Amino acid sequence: MSNDAKPHEPQTVPASNSRRSAVLVPYLPSIAIFVVAVIYGTVSSPYFLNFSAILVNSGRYVEIGMLALGLTLVIINGDIDLSVASNLAVSAATMGLLLEGGVPIQLAALAALAVGMGLGAINAVFIVGMGLPSLVVTLATLALYRGLAQIILGDHAVTAYPEEFIGVDQVSLLGDIAIVPMPLVMLIGFALLFGFLLSRTNFGISCYLTGSNQQAAKFSGIRIDRTRATAFMLTGLMAGAAAVMMTSRLGSTLSNVGLGLELLAITVVVLGGTSIFGGRGTVLGTIIALFAVMAVRESLVISNVNGQVQDALVGVILIVAIVVPQTVTRFRERVSTKRLR
Amino acid sequence: MNPLTVTSTWRSLGRLREAGIAGVVVLLIVIFGSLNPLFLDRDNLSSIVVSVGILMILAIGQMLVIITRNIDLSVGSVLGLSAMVMGMVGRELPEMPTYLLILIAMLVGALAGAVNGILVAVARVPSIIATLGTLAIFRGLTFLVSNNVQVDPEDVADEMQDLASSGPLGIPWLVIFAAIVVVLAWWFTTRTMSGKRLYAIGSNPEAAEMRGLNVLGMTFGVFVLMGALAGLGGAMYVARFATVNPADAGLGFELAVISAVVIGGTNIFGGSGTVIGTVLGTMLVGILSNGLTVVGVSGFWQRFASGAIILIAIIADSFVRKRIERRQSNQTMARVR
Repeated sequence: MSNDAKPHEPQTVPASNSRRSAVLVPYLPSIAIFVVAVIYGTVSSPYFLNFSAILVNSGRYVEIGMLALGLTLVIINGDIDLSVASNLAVSAATMGLLLEGGVPIQLAALAALAVGMGLGAINAVFIVGMGLPSLVVTLATLALYRGLAQIILGDHAVTAYPEEFIGVDQVSLLGDIAIVPMPLVMLIGFALLFGFLLSRTNFGISCYLTGSNQQAAKFSGIRIDRTRATAFMLTGLMAGAAAVMMTSRLGSTLSNVGLGLELLAITVVVLGGTSIFGGRGTVLGTIIALFAVMAVRESLVISNVNGQVQDALVGVILIVAIVVPQTVTRFRERVSTKRLR
Repeated sequence: MNPLTVTSTWRSLGRLREAGIAGVVVLLIVIFGSLNPLFLDRDNLSSIVVSVGILMILAIGQMLVIITRNIDLSVGSVLGLSAMVMGMVGRELPEMPTYLLILIAMLVGALAGAVNGILVAVARVPSIIATLGTLAIFRGLTFLVSNNVQVDPEDVADEMQDLASSGPLGIPWLVIFAAIVVVLAWWFTTRTMSGKRLYAIGSNPEAAEMRGLNVLGMTFGVFVLMGALAGLGGAMYVARFATVNPADAGLGFELAVISAVVIGGTNIFGGSGTVIGTVLGTMLVGILSNGLTVVGVSGFWQRFASGAIILIAIIADSFVRKRIERRQSNQTMARVR
């Protein structure tokens, strides 16, 4: 995976520890959670490490991961996008409707990507263009886009997808030699792309600067408006792509597709060490956190824990993962200021 | 800058806003009423009043939270949890008086609010993240507590159900409770020192801390209050629906509540917001969702409309705010010269 820990360094506390270990610090909570969950899952069921089960189940998490990748950019910029799952629903609904209207599936899928990006652009118009707070705007478009999907589809379920389009999650890259789920490969591809964007391009640097101090970034000649708008549009594009993936996995489209996924996606981003106030975060962190959440949920599924209780445990993990490192940092800061005196 | 002119311009902005929302509310009533006379039917009006009442109790709490520059996304789950606990206690101990049951619901809510308060005020987790977590946690707790068994109408005492339909002078107790909450909140925010401090904390937490305000204590307190109000809302939910399903009691309520507060003119970045605005915002949300159903607009359009109305509210808001700020800075410049 890409080496994108670099922009972290100016932000870390001036501790006397070696830099090399400090680079790993933001990932420690999710790595620890991943390890614990895998051990728990393996101990509680011999089927936990069953690869065909992982293949079947990874699809869901890949979609969450795609939303989370876009959100990583938006949150690093100091914004938030609560509308991603509703955007996904509109994109999927458009695709289904076009397909039923006789449009070939390839074009319909492209249209889903375009719709996703377009809805992201609408968010950007309100937030960047008109200077409205992203939390409220995307809270509104969360309802607005979901409503749009419901208006487009009503109670209707689109099921007319061609055979060859359905079941991307059942495809293995290397065939029978080794099970390498196709969606997972695609997610890693997207992650490398986003990692590259964030750590190796001017756009990425602009994101960190915008998120750390918008005023200062503006006065240093960073085009913050363009940076923020691009992040919203890329997030929309990812929502459109996730809609295509999800439709291929489910083989049908209903207007409630992806309901509530925004919470999981944001949880993944924050768990991965991205600061909700902006300016800090990495793609690697988001991906590690995605695997951690996946391991936790799958180990709970295998021990027959109810869905809502699974969500609750992910909530506990989210909070613990923020409180513990924060307390450690505060403690360290106190120690280092004492030393200065 | 003279602080007096600032507050008076803000106040006039507030009044303009409130008049605007009140105008929209009246307009909606006229439109829905003329499209379908059934909208103004006694039964429908009382159904609006009851659903607005529940929403209002939570919206007032949310307004106070948002004034301190925080947000509580967990209100729907807290409502569900306290409704569930109260419903179960009522099922096991049918002879328990109604007021004690309500107190139990409020206590459960306050405890949940205290968890949020500790996370935000003491552990300093950003409120949006902390309550995103507890949104899931309290929903999960509702499942664990109830063992996924719902509370049925025969488990809810008649006296409890009567709260939503009858009371002194024919006004349901539910509405009276909501009115008491509104009046107390109005008194608190406009007539007490602590109320003013709440705004100070929201406008500038660091400055408030330096001035020696107890930011930690007040933030904690406001979350506990929010929880207790969500608990009261939970009790009223049981009174109205007589059913508590662990999966959907209060599900998605946070959206309606936050919409009502934002439409009512409370600044999402804290420091401003009025009780009257919140009352009007809640009425707008309640009337809109009821009216669309009565007029026969497909349920599918409702969510779209509720999203659109939030957008319109904040766009109008920022438009007026920008104009006033510009005028203000012009005045200040003139004075400096």
